[in-house]
Amino acid sequence: MTNEELTGLLQALPLRQLHDLTRGRVHRHFRLGKRRLIEVILSLPPESRSLLEVDVLKPKRQSPHQPSLENSPQPFVAKPTQKKGRGKAKLSASLEPPITVSELLDGLGVPTAQPFHADPWQIEAISKLATNDVIASVPTGSGKTYVAIEATRRALEQDQTVIYTSPLKALSNTKYMEFSQLFGADRVGILTGDRKDNAQAPLLIMTTEILRNLLYDAASGQIDVRLNTLGLVILDESQYLADPERGVVWEETIIFCPSQARLLLLSASIGNPQDLSSWLTSIRAVPCHLIHHQNRSVPLRAGYLHPDGVMVPFFRTRDITKGRGFTFHPETKRLLAQYEGETLGHRNRR
Amino acid sequence: MPPAIHPVQLVEVLRRKQLTPAIVFLTSRRACDEAISAFQRQEGSLPPERTQAIATVLEQLAVDYPSITGHPLMETVAQFGVAAHHAGHLPSWKIAIEELMRQGQLDAVFATTTLAAGVDFPARTVVITQSSVRKARDFSDLTVGEIQQLAGRGGRRGKDFVGFVMITPSPYIDLQVLSKGLTGFPEAIESQFVISYPMVLNLLKAHPLDHIEGILAKSFAQFQLNRRVDVHQNSLDTIHQDMRPFGPRVCTDWISQWQVYDQARRRHSQRRPASQPDPPGTAAKLPFLTPGRVIRVSKGFAVILRQYRSRGQRYPMLSILRAKGTMTESPAMMVNHIYDHVLEFTTLRAFPWCSPTTLSHLTHELTQLPSNLPVLPVLADEEQQNEESLTPVLTDEFACPTCPSQPACRKDHAVALRLRQKEKGIIKTIHALRTGLWLRFQKKSHVLHKFGYLTATSELTSEGDWARLIRIDHSLLITELIRMEAFAAIEPALLAAVMAGIAHDDDRPGSYQRMSPGLSTMLHQVRAVADSLASYEDPPLLRTDVAALTEQWISQPTLSWANLVRKTAMAEGDVYRLFARTIEFLSQIQTLKISHPSLAETAISAITTMRREVLEELP
Repeated sequence: MTNEELTGLLQALPLRQLHDLTRGRVHRHFRLGKRRLIEVILSLPPESRSLLEVDVLKPKRQSPHQPSLENSPQPFVAKPTQKKGRGKAKLSASLEPPITVSELLDGLGVPTAQPFHADPWQIEAISKLATNDVIASVPTGSGKTYVAIEATRRALEQDQTVIYTSPLKALSNTKYMEFSQLFGADRVGILTGDRKDNAQAPLLIMTTEILRNLLYDAASGQIDVRLNTLGLVILDESQYLADPERGVVWEETIIFCPSQARLLLLSASIGNPQDLSSWLTSIRAVPCHLIHHQNRSVPLRAGYLHPDGVMVPFFRTRDITKGRGFTFHPETKRLLAQYEGETLGHRNRR
Repeated sequence: MPPAIHPVQLVEVLRRKQLTPAIVFLTSRRACDEAISAFQRQEGSLPPERTQAIATVLEQLAVDYPSITGHPLMETVAQFGVAAHHAGHLPSWKIAIEELMRQGQLDAVFATTTLAAGVDFPARTVVITQSSVRKARDFSDLTVGEIQQLAGRGGRRGKDFVGFVMITPSPYIDLQVLSKGLTGFPEAIESQFVISYPMVLNLLKAHPLDHIEGILAKSFAQFQLNRRVDVHQNSLDTIHQDMRPFGPRVCTDWISQWQVYDQARRRHSQRRPASQPDPPGTAAKLPFLTPGRVIRVSKGFAVILRQYRSRGQRYPMLSILRAKGTMTESPAMMVNHIYDHVLEFTTLRAFPWCSPTTLSHLTHELTQLPSNLPVLPVLADEEQQNEESLTPVLTDEFACPTCPSQPACRKDHAVALRLRQKEKGIIKTIHALRTGLWLRFQKKSHVLHKFGYLTATSELTSEGDWARLIRIDHSLLITELIRMEAFAAIEPALLAAVMAGIAHDDDRPGSYQRMSPGLSTMLHQVRAVADSLASYEDPPLLRTDVAALTEQWISQPTLSWANLVRKTAMAEGDVYRLFARTIEFLSQIQTLKISHPSLAETAISAITTMRREVLEELP
């Protein structure tokens, strides 16, 4: 739709309807007169504008049903950017213009296979483990398993026993298979509540409860695995320490963990890893080294998917920024208001 | 508009935008299963080579995990490239889905939000459809940590440049919660240290009693409590700082001294009774001021009609009739003379206190009275007058009224007292924080002593020595049952069934199961024991249907898994978890080889029978 056509259409609408149209799209639309409002609408970014055009045409078609995806005019066809008018410049004086869907989806794809490079924090964790206990509190999916594997490899090279614990039996099984492939099935054992497979292996996988029981048995003088050569204890998902029912098991395990063994706590992001670290330092023989960061190795972006299949960015900015608040994308705001109006019934309708 | 996006359309959009593979987190298991059945109703499928690839992977996995073969969802997964992943499925099936996901063969996996930690596979996109999750029968908002755990599955290292989290609304979604979760920092974790009976027994087995407090002090719980102690200690220091000007004065503890004095003073000032005693002169007259008595007031003779006390008047009052025939109210103290002469009449309770004829009669009689009537000599009790001077003087008990620092004490007392009360409160709090864990430990060990697992000196008795090996929930109930010989010469099936009833803590409904009379009696007795222990340990659910299901699985060794699952409304995964947990409980009993050899034997035989088919697949 050309500028003239749209202007004509908008001119024909009553001001009240214009305000309804621009709600969520134009900042302080109620302050602007009709002429200024149309000017501002003409200078909207292409996506918002094309969606607005759809809305302008909607009452004319007299069909309230949702247009199916195939039939609806493609809302995201990139239009040549409009010349920026004065209104636009004034509007976006304080904020960056909201990103577009194409910007959101920009850079999608599969990276070419590259030789694996360990992140600095991973190297730091592994090297520190020689002299310290280590807590790694990093976001999900940033490579904690690599640290576990490398640390295990080093400990095994020194003929030490390694115990790896996870909170869930399912995770234990997954890790058992993974480690068996890496280190050879004969060097990996798994201990569950009732079964001991290869219990004399140098690398033992178990749930944290089993390790706690082992440590209790050892404390009362009945040792049945090689705890004296224990060199490394890896506690995966150690944010379970805060689990209301099972958290106490992690504490017991850490308190009774033999002092010659190094502890490696792998945890998802938690709010107070410093507390955990100074606690470990206060009760363990060696100081604890804390690795804590919020940077994901793969950046994350947020989108909003409307039930009719329209996708818009969720935030104004493309990347999710931590700890600096948030602003919804204007399109998300508008669509959500529309969604709420339609699902919550007449009472909440404006 | 539909209240939420249709799963087929969702996957379609994701495919078109190249956002697959994706993990879709849904509210419930049922929502996941419905999403899959929505695909089954659809036309169309994946390109044949992808279907083939998925089928091949599943076939390979079926070699290790036979239970995958013939899984009802196998074809759907291969045909549409989508799967459900939740706790209702068997572990082997979940492993298969995870493997497919790792290889990138699937386009979407529908999973429940509840088990976010169990979803240990990444995808390019994570779809979040809700902002709250069911926790302990109630819905509560997702925490920041949980949202980041969910969103964290988006973006595969080495396979994606960027990961996505797609938020799609459903009723009851709160975008503020989700946005805060995505952009905020995760919550601090709090220690959840609880002292359990097995913990007490095991600690006392390995360590002497006087070491225990030190061991408890090493816990993260105590560490965090100490943090709070530090905060209180700081405020205590400030209070001490503030209290410096209020140090010892003439008396060392002037604050309490002044407080006691102040209270005594207040009490003194309040000692004056609400109604003061009448002055002695009046008090002496009162008994004679009866109705009919002739008196002299300032204006001549009068006769008393009644005597009364009125709330507004300080002195007793009289209603009198004058010789003139007027009736007035007069205080008793205004009476000048009391004569030894009484006019007889009948009184009334209401005004004018006698009948009108009597009134005129009385007036007449008054005028007839001689002027020299004999006066009654009324002597006042003068001793009462001295009472005022006898009230104790505060200086007898307290030095304060004459103390040189009295003005300072009077001025500072309010501030100083408030500071000292605050100080006492904080000291109490600090003490509670320091000793809380130890007290909880003592409480538990006291219970164990009562039941005979510990001696009076907190050493393990022979009972405690084996009881410490039962390190599971409801350990007190299980050890008590063993001590009562409830399991003497028990069948393996029955033992396992009871253990299943104790172990199963899920309240998802099952369906009624036929059970042997022995089991029903047994469960009844176990429930009675559990109820009697309720004040020491929360009783288990003791569901009869799970117990019966376990009994059937053991007592009918030919029963196949498929037939067993068909008997109950429970999901396959739930039955699996029930059995796995039962085996875990049985294996705890199995450790009692030395003290209870025959019971341990029974447990072993139960475990061996239970481990077949699906239960054998995973270690």
